[in-house]
Amino acid sequence: MVTTKTDKKARPKPFLFPQFCKACGRCIEACPKDCIHVGTQIDPNSGLTPVVVELDKCNGCGLCIDACPEPYGLMPVEGEIEDMSLMDPAQIFGPRQTSAPKPEPIPGTLVPLPDLEPMVLKGTHAAAVGAILAGCRHVFGYPITPSTEGAELMAKLLPQLDGVFVQAVSEVATVNIMYGCGGAGLRCATFTSSPGFSLMLEGISYMIGAELPGVFFNIMRGGPGLGNIGPEQSDISLVCRGLGHGNTHAVVLAPSTPQEMLDLTIAAFDISFEYRNPVVIAADGYLGQMTGRVELPKTLTKPGIPQWAVYGDRAHRGNLITSIYIIEADLEIHNEKILAKYDRMIENEQRANCFRCDDAEWLVIACNTPARMAKGAVQELRDQGIKAGLFRPITLWPFPIKQLTPLLDRARGLIVVEAGPGQLEDEVRLALSHADIRNAPPFSHVRRYGGVLPQQQEIVDKVTALVEA
Amino acid sequence: MDGVFYNRFERHAHGEGLKGQSTHYCAGCGHGLVHKYLADAIDELGVQDRTIAISPVGCAVFMYYYLDVGNSQAAHGRAPAVALGHKMANPESIVICYQGDGDLASIGLAEIIQATQMGIPMSIIFVNNAIYGMTGGQMAPTTLMEQQTTTTPTGRDRLTGEPMRMAETIGQLSGPVYVERVALYDNKQRVRAQKAIKKALRVQVENRGLGFVEVLSECPTHLHMSPSDAEQWVKQEMVPIFPLGVKKDVDTEPWFNLDEPNFEPDDIVTVIGSSTESSAKGTEPFPSHIDAEDISLKFAGAGGDGAQTIAMLTTRTAINAGYDSTHIPSYGPESRGGTSYADVHIATTEVLSPASLKPHVLVAFNPQSLEKFGPTVRDGGVVLYDSTVIAEPPQMDPGIKTYGIPFTQIAVDLGKAMVKNTVALGATVAATKIFPVERFVNTMEDALKNKCALLPINREAFNRGIEAVEALDKTR
Ligand SMILES: Cc1ncc(C[n+]2csc(CCOP(=O)(O)OP(=O)(O)O)c2C)c(N)n1
Ligand code: SF4
Ligand code: SF4
Ligand code: SF4
Repeated sequence: MVTTKTDKKARPKPFLFPQFCKACGRCIEACPKDCIHVGTQIDPNSGLTPVVVELDKCNGCGLCIDACPEPYGLMPVEGEIEDMSLMDPAQIFGPRQTSAPKPEPIPGTLVPLPDLEPMVLKGTHAAAVGAILAGCRHVFGYPITPSTEGAELMAKLLPQLDGVFVQAVSEVATVNIMYGCGGAGLRCATFTSSPGFSLMLEGISYMIGAELPGVFFNIMRGGPGLGNIGPEQSDISLVCRGLGHGNTHAVVLAPSTPQEMLDLTIAAFDISFEYRNPVVIAADGYLGQMTGRVELPKTLTKPGIPQWAVYGDRAHRGNLITSIYIIEADLEIHNEKILAKYDRMIENEQRANCFRCDDAEWLVIACNTPARMAKGAVQELRDQGIKAGLFRPITLWPFPIKQLTPLLDRARGLIVVEAGPGQLEDEVRLALSHADIRNAPPFSHVRRYGGVLPQQQEIVDKVTALVEA
Repeated sequence: MDGVFYNRFERHAHGEGLKGQSTHYCAGCGHGLVHKYLADAIDELGVQDRTIAISPVGCAVFMYYYLDVGNSQAAHGRAPAVALGHKMANPESIVICYQGDGDLASIGLAEIIQATQMGIPMSIIFVNNAIYGMTGGQMAPTTLMEQQTTTTPTGRDRLTGEPMRMAETIGQLSGPVYVERVALYDNKQRVRAQKAIKKALRVQVENRGLGFVEVLSECPTHLHMSPSDAEQWVKQEMVPIFPLGVKKDVDTEPWFNLDEPNFEPDDIVTVIGSSTESSAKGTEPFPSHIDAEDISLKFAGAGGDGAQTIAMLTTRTAINAGYDSTHIPSYGPESRGGTSYADVHIATTEVLSPASLKPHVLVAFNPQSLEKFGPTVRDGGVVLYDSTVIAEPPQMDPGIKTYGIPFTQIAVDLGKAMVKNTVALGATVAATKIFPVERFVNTMEDALKNKCALLPINREAFNRGIEAVEALDKTR
């Protein structure tokens, strides 16, 4: 019988399939009895010159086996070695890679909640409560304003639910702890803000490559560089088009009220696990800090363990989390799989909210906090008899082109309102282009930068000017 | 044949040909030996099913081809972070973090220091071969002085720094329980290496802490030597710089313990601070004497004045009264002793713009705030300010109702300067008649339900604020 480890008492003797010897010679020096010699014959399978083992003087000390770097190089054998050399290795090693069982998925369950009073919560706290209700008990993060309160609340609450908050040494460490925790099949999240999110990109690309779930709150702030902690929306290109290297995308959700911070957080975890892909919640600093009324859902999630998880138990022993596909053809297949997943997201996940859009001639497009100012402006314009409407994308990627398209026929102008340099407008333009819509109404915009939010009056003035032009 | 190595390395080029049974390592590479000792240790400790091996970026990137355990492959340098994620996710798992010297001692320094200092039971296997193997023989942080590599073609010199001694560095941290440096160059060292690796696992399996083993290893390929010369090189050149032996070994009790996460609805309701009982909520008439549908207030002062607290109480009161309301603070550096502004909106159905650029009501705690925001208050609005610190208020628009009330003095007279914000809140309620007094009192009681001792003085302060406004109104 062949065993891979050295059973010292049994004093088995070494056996070598010559084709698995790399001729390193480590065993030659290791043998005190001079049993092993440099070979002279090239092995036709490996093209190398394996050592020659002559066991006449062998005392079974096993030192040569412990010196051989190859798992199936020198192996300890009890009994008749002659028989071994006649055997087919395939028979000895068996047909299967592993004895690990095929894992079954352990499904999660929805547990009913009692009827609860609405809460009064700030945006980051609403997200934290949403994560708890979504079954997340693992949060990792590195402090950065204006996202930190979410992490702070988690640090306080999670231990009370036997969950874990770990303050990582950096955002780089954070995303990789999430890679581990998500890889174990658990629901985990982080709260960060623009500079911190930049640091996470390599890890997010790895998570996408390894098909791991995880929820990222990016409470966007003013940039570039250290910028400031004011509310900007200038990570839209980053989250929609630049999630690290390689073929990367993730569903990006853009809440605009504390209520949506909670609701979309719950949705984010489900989407993340459904597709085995990270999900980004892109909020702005204003929304993160804003307190408002928040209704709680009727159920909470008690998560299970997915089939693919590397959980650290017998059932999941056969699993692997990796983003490496070293053979080009394999990586191409993997990318095709990922692309098909993106297609499913594009097909199923587009979300938007329309306010007075049905007969709108002037379509204001805005998300996050600027959408609130835009809504106020639309209301004011309507009071003046101007047919304005607000189209508010809730998913920034995939952009909700399905919901936008039917509104375009009636629209005389698209006014993109954003706290940033036109990144939302880029998404709208790209979405139109991908949908082959060439006769879209003309674009104009209201943009502020650096943490300054567009105000209702600016939007009203812009649209009024367009109407009068 | 059931060992800790896969029977067939199917992940190695689909296990075709010899690859099904042989590694991707060069002849004589130390990595293969370390893998074997790891497999032995996992087997002997009986933890194969629970083990998760983290493959690094480096030549050991494909460790998952070989070890029949749960496998996870990490980004360059981040194996300790990934390991931590796995261990936190399942404290019962046995997590092995395997890293090369570039991975651990260069790009991943922050992660390894955090993980080892945390000291959560894990096993770190650090393969120090004094070179970057995978990328083709560049300088590693552990490269010896004068050693030639492709990025130190004339030998490592002062400009590129001295070799990093990681076992010593990790050994002086308080986190790990066991740190040892071993080598592979002869039978004796190999026996020690086997023992050390087993021990690094055992301290984890016994739940006693983190074990760290640095293995001086041969990279014959990039040393441009035969494996046996490489063994001699490690012995003669590396060992003097990286002395072998135990760097730390402390006796500890098993300690790491995380309970199963709790998903009990009742516990969750309590923890998030929600409640099922309806705490005297209802519908008050909307204070339309201020605005028909959207009222904005601004509370402005210095950090510590308590502007945010009363802004929040106002928001809660409005929500309890059945309306939508938002509160948004200024924050960040501004909140550190500097200014502290709070914008509050109350709307019949939905607050749109949450900023109070043109407030109906301004409460100012200091001259700067009054000066800055006084002019933004709408015609017909109300301004309240702390006359203790604002002796001479600027001229206000005649359409604005102004109340100078000594918030601070009243609070000091009550024996607690801190409650000046509650005085201001009482005054605001009286001056604006925004919602009935009882509704604010309810909110206050609710907010202070865990700090009952503070309730009487706050109620008193609140009443004094109301009285001060009433007294002023009488004189008008
Ligand atoms: C972010 C990043 N930077 C650089 C690399 C390229 N890289 C791959 S392996 C490696 C060095 C590995 O050296 P070491 O950790 O000593 O392991 P060895 O190959 O010697 O076993 C580098 C720099 C990478 N994969 N990722
Ligand atoms: S078991 Fe010992 S004596 Fe026998 S060949 Fe190996 S090293 Fe030599
Ligand atoms: S140690 Fe193993 S691989 Fe090296 S020469 Fe000996 S049998 Fe061959
Ligand atoms: S390059 Fe060096 S470290 Fe890498 S496999 Fe070859 S010998 Fe080992």
